[in-house]
Amino acid sequence: MTQAKPRAKKLPLKERYALLTRDLDWEPSYVEREKLFPYTSYEGIKIHDWDGWQDPFRLTVDAYYKYQAEKDKRLYAVLDSFAQSQGHLGLADASYLNAIKLFIQGVTPLEYAAHRHFAYLARYLEGPAPRFAALCQSVDELRHCQTQIHTISNYNKYYGGFHSWSKMHDRVWYLSVPKSLFDDAMTAGPFEFLISISFSFEYLLTNLLFVPFMSGASFNGDMPTMSFGFSAQSDESRHMTLGLEAIKFLLEQDEGNVPIIQAWIDKWFWRAYRMSALVAGMMDYMLPKPVMSWKEAFELYFEDQMLGGLFPDLEYYGITPPRHVEDAIAEKDHLSHQVYKILHNFSFAAAFTTQTPSEEHSAWLSEQYPGSYDELYKPVWDKHARTEAAGGRIFFQGLPQLCQVCQVPMAFTEPDDPTAISFRTSEFTGETFHTCSNGCKWIFDREPEKFVQAWLPVHQIYQGNCGGPSVPEVLDWYGIQDGDNGEYKGSPDQRSWAEWHSGAPKQES
Amino acid sequence: MQYELRYQVIEAKRQSYQNVIDRFGDQPATRYQEATLDVEPRENFHYRPTWAQDRELYDPRYSALRLTDPYSYADPRGFYYTPYVTNRAALHDEFGKTLTYLEDRELLVTLPEAWRSVLGSVVIPLRHYESGCQLVSVTGARFAHGTSLAQCCTFAAFDRIGNAQMLSRVGIAVAGGVGDTLTTAKQEWLDGAHLQPLRRLVEEIMVVDDWAEGLLAIDHVDSLLFPAMYAGLDEKALLGGAGAYSLVAQYLTTWFADQRRWIDALVSAWRGDPEHGPSNTAHLDRIAATWGPRAEEAVGALTAVVAGRLDGVAA
Repeated sequence: MTQAKPRAKKLPLKERYALLTRDLDWEPSYVEREKLFPYTSYEGIKIHDWDGWQDPFRLTVDAYYKYQAEKDKRLYAVLDSFAQSQGHLGLADASYLNAIKLFIQGVTPLEYAAHRHFAYLARYLEGPAPRFAALCQSVDELRHCQTQIHTISNYNKYYGGFHSWSKMHDRVWYLSVPKSLFDDAMTAGPFEFLISISFSFEYLLTNLLFVPFMSGASFNGDMPTMSFGFSAQSDESRHMTLGLEAIKFLLEQDEGNVPIIQAWIDKWFWRAYRMSALVAGMMDYMLPKPVMSWKEAFELYFEDQMLGGLFPDLEYYGITPPRHVEDAIAEKDHLSHQVYKILHNFSFAAAFTTQTPSEEHSAWLSEQYPGSYDELYKPVWDKHARTEAAGGRIFFQGLPQLCQVCQVPMAFTEPDDPTAISFRTSEFTGETFHTCSNGCKWIFDREPEKFVQAWLPVHQIYQGNCGGPSVPEVLDWYGIQDGDNGEYKGSPDQRSWAEWHSGAPKQES
Repeated sequence: MQYELRYQVIEAKRQSYQNVIDRFGDQPATRYQEATLDVEPRENFHYRPTWAQDRELYDPRYSALRLTDPYSYADPRGFYYTPYVTNRAALHDEFGKTLTYLEDRELLVTLPEAWRSVLGSVVIPLRHYESGCQLVSVTGARFAHGTSLAQCCTFAAFDRIGNAQMLSRVGIAVAGGVGDTLTTAKQEWLDGAHLQPLRRLVEEIMVVDDWAEGLLAIDHVDSLLFPAMYAGLDEKALLGGAGAYSLVAQYLTTWFADQRRWIDALVSAWRGDPEHGPSNTAHLDRIAATWGPRAEEAVGALTAVVAGRLDGVAA
């Protein structure tokens, strides 16, 4: 009788993946567990069984390298060919690049921050499975930061405003809005960071914060950014599943976690929503070919998908829709207009340019915002247009007051009265602090000792910490170069664009 | 002959980002430079970390080892994300092909008994060592000062999981496709007397507060362990009927040579720093004196076992 060769057995996929990841971990016996993981108790979150974490995706290291290397090969081929063919000349208009300036100054540094702080989770979360998921995301976020730098590198050679993105993120007034948000998340404990970034940022609001830039790219001939967007999509979907698994895991572990997480959802919804105001202004005013209005995006991606889809699911765990969500809904007709007014008034101190919407663009806005635009915002733009027709340009003289929490200039209106500026104040250690909304005031009052630490750009200018007392000194300290700022019409970008499209391009072999 | 393609030339207003121009002048920059230099935030942090109230989110004080300018250090491999994953995709692809070859011919299942024992009780348990090294390296990914350093630590952390997975896959292959060897190897890691000096050492390094000291303590172990367990067993394996082991071990040797490049360059940068050089050198010497002997002891315990089991096997 011949003996059959023993057939190689095969491990079930789930078991194999567990062996290759979480089984690598062991219970330390030579050092105290609390010394190894010192930060998982002070936020009050209780985890009874880290093994209850369900891997949201199963990616081994070899497969990760393979997919990512292939994706990058394709992405860099697009970047190279776009650069070689002067693809930037095919954009809808040079003014489109203002959106991408905002992106590299405001968003790319956040990718980097996420990279660094997911490494913190990869070190300090107690469960090996979530640690590995966090490690993957940390590496992905580095990818996003670096591929964005390379994607935009070619535009930087020909246009203003891109050149000092990293320094600007540390210094310029409107960029303290995204920077302070991530600083807030990173200085919190590991679980709050997970809820703030993985859940609120990557899941709840990603379609309002990140995707509009990629869609804008696609509509406006920006092939590199669009290719980056597609290339990041599979990473982002892993990050979204991680966010969802994280919140479910924390909620399932202990009932006592529910109110803590509810408060974080309340805080981080409003925090991220307030930051999205900059995106709202970009979507409605900076894209020569708009994708959809902020209002429509908000209704589709937030009201329908999140309030209508996600929150009914979370109700099972005792989670309710975020506090102050009704204020966000109430101002959806106004948000983008109010923010772009600020940017337009203060763009002399920004590293992008602004312009009064053209008649055609204004007609589009009026169609998109039948309830607010013609009555409240068009008259303002008409006034600007008249001034500009006479050779003028209105900029706001002086510096705005900033919200102590979101750091956006205090120009938002009351939820029930779009003609009254919303001011809230709180007292803390004998001083008065100003916030722009019910949401920001609630956030301040919950953690005043944190928010009084805010590095408020306007206060810092007045305190003499920003290069000097005059506007040119501050701009110089910001790293803003002549022509990066102010009005688009007549700007170096606009003049170069006109010259490059004048029909007599220089030709050389 | 070549044909003459005419194309539009537009003069660039600048060749690179301003921070790169400030360092090297207005000339074309590499992708490594643009993706690395000055990326980490420097100033105007809004709030103090609740987990380290006396420090900033990015702060040189997370280590005693300092560089006056972190960007005076450059990864000699020039790795930013894309070349890193491209390089490692090739390494793991080769490893996978080799492993499949060995599995198809059952060359790992049929290793001589002494070699099976060395793999099961010494080599495969090192997947837990790799996992501990990941925890140490990723601390640098968060706390190293400067993108140039932090990204090296990030890649190293991911590498260590890759190494752990390579060793685990060898363990699965040795058992003929199941997890039994991994289970017994884990038991060895937890209880085997010969592995306890190493496990104790790694656990103690995992709680070292200074990320760079942790990284270097591990490197002291690596510097003994990798030559001893992988390249060092090559000849014995080839002569002792365990060529299959040599085939898989070569990938860990390749990895270690790569790891050496960035760490050696970093140590040189620390020693040679114009401002912190002397203090760095004192710290480096202290680190070597603290962890070096411990590493020798831990790796010595393993090499003794290996020598004992393979005694008489090799010619």
